Amino acid sequence: MAGIFWLASYPKSGNTWFRSVLRACLGGADGLLDINALQTGKIASSRAWVDDVAGFDTSDLTQAEIENLRPHVYRWSAGQGTEPAYHKIHDAYRLTGEGQPIIDTEATRGAVYIIRNPLDVAPSYAAHNGTGIDRAIDRMGDHDHALSRVKEALPTQLLQVMGSWSDHVTSWMDAPGLALHPVRYEDMLDRPEDTFGQALRFLEVDRDAACIARAVELCRFERLARQERDHGFRERPARADRFFRSGRAGGWRDTLSPAQVARIIADHGAVMARFGYLDAQGNPV
Amino acid sequence: MTEFHRAYGLCIDSRIALPELDRCSCPEGGPDLTILAGDVPETPCATEGWRVISPFVQVAEGRFWLHVPGVARFTAEYGRLIRVDPCAGVDAGSVRVFLLGSVLGAILFQRGFLLLHGNAIDIDGRTMVCIGVSGSGKSTLAAAFAARGYRLLSDDVVPVDADCAAIPGIPRIKLWQDSAERLDIATASLDRIRPGLAKFNLPVRDSFSETPLPIRWIYILAPDNNTDITLTAISGLDRFQPLLSHTYRRRFMEGMALQPEHLHRCGALAGKVHLARVRRPVTGFDVDGLVDALLADMERAG
Repeated sequence: MAGIFWLASYPKSGNTWFRSVLRACLGGADGLLDINALQTGKIASSRAWVDDVAGFDTSDLTQAEIENLRPHVYRWSAGQGTEPAYHKIHDAYRLTGEGQPIIDTEATRGAVYIIRNPLDVAPSYAAHNGTGIDRAIDRMGDHDHALSRVKEALPTQLLQVMGSWSDHVTSWMDAPGLALHPVRYEDMLDRPEDTFGQALRFLEVDRDAACIARAVELCRFERLARQERDHGFRERPARADRFFRSGRAGGWRDTLSPAQVARIIADHGAVMARFGYLDAQGNPV
Repeated sequence: MTEFHRAYGLCIDSRIALPELDRCSCPEGGPDLTILAGDVPETPCATEGWRVISPFVQVAEGRFWLHVPGVARFTAEYGRLIRVDPCAGVDAGSVRVFLLGSVLGAILFQRGFLLLHGNAIDIDGRTMVCIGVSGSGKSTLAAAFAARGYRLLSDDVVPVDADCAAIPGIPRIKLWQDSAERLDIATASLDRIRPGLAKFNLPVRDSFSETPLPIRWIYILAPDNNTDITLTAISGLDRFQPLLSHTYRRRFMEGMALQPEHLHRCGALAGKVHLARVRRPVTGFDVDGLVDALLADMERAG
């Protein structure tokens, strides 16, 4: 079985940027990169994927039935190819009602988990959803937060339970028995060649330093943002003005109020400290 | 006395009650399809000739097996026989959802139809088919056309015969609560398709077309992140791939080795219809505006 590598993150943490670099490397990094053709793989929550493999419609199933189905679908898909597959996922790492990891242990070869300072995630997540920043902070602190939670209609994506930002990070980082390679967004910015190079080696994408440097250059934030401005981006949510917003670390200092910073630290201080976003005194770094 | 039902042009003799279907009298040659309640093997693949094409689907020449966990196991054979083996304690409505969906779909493939994933509406004696992925708004659109007095041929699965005509299916639309509210349809008196789902059977017996009608227009519906409804005609060789990729349960068709005939049918259909891609805003679905836009486009295309 070739297996699946999951590209996992909370939203607005650099997953699309990471997939762009991966796409550029897989394609040889010698041409233009089209942000509307980032075919590194699927997204775990694709209703069309699960419906196709199952042979019946998830729109006729309860949430619990869909959840129990998903590991079977990934295991089947992992067994079909001869090369590793790279699929994006925003679900937290969790167990189904039948007690199986939703990503399926047998299907999964490993996961890259991309983490970003929640102080920077909050303003970005607010813009992504077209809400105020306080609403984004509420969502990031909500242990029941989920994407595509629609009970009475049919979104094209399946329900993705994420929990709070801290729940999401620890679910993946501490997942028992999972081969995991953590990547900090801030390291992707500060030391791109090293950071992407290590992650790509973990993903069994063997490329030399020059190739990785070319891919990083092709996927510079300004280039991706310019493509969105000129041609649009199909992954932009309808409520957001644009997907590629600022692409930097520490932008929160200009956008968050002291009270908002305090709320995020109160909600996520322990996990922030663990991943280097707070100093020994508990202050943002 | 045995009761017979009609769907997809077939006379069906069923030992399982099928309240969603119209009744009919049996033709002289006997029923086209028989549905029996009975033992379905836990997995047939130990038997020679069967292939596993999904964690839940196995096929052999002319035969098909499906397991919907917690609901039922089914077989469909040679386009003529379905066996249904419900799981203990499951409600009859849940079993019918998959029997009338994937399993009848397998029967129609076995009978040689091209199946599109979409719905079909009678527009003054010719058929408009709307295809798209689950969640694109097809059923809401079909209910909106029905509310304007247009007759439905089929919802969810559209069988296409060798003359490129759409075959009438089941006189109902499966509608989510929010779509019903959008169209001012009260759900209090409607049956849920399954317990625990806010999705209802909307019977459309009074606005149902019972004869096959030639397909003239096909629209590929997709929600996107823009604010306007846009229509883009598709021409030339680009018309083939969308029909193939919106085949209902393409996996079944390929698994049962029906691909050559299917590709031939897709090509024939692509050559005969006006085909366009329709993008509608993902938020604030203006279904009336969409119906108007499609009617105007059909008028233009003729």
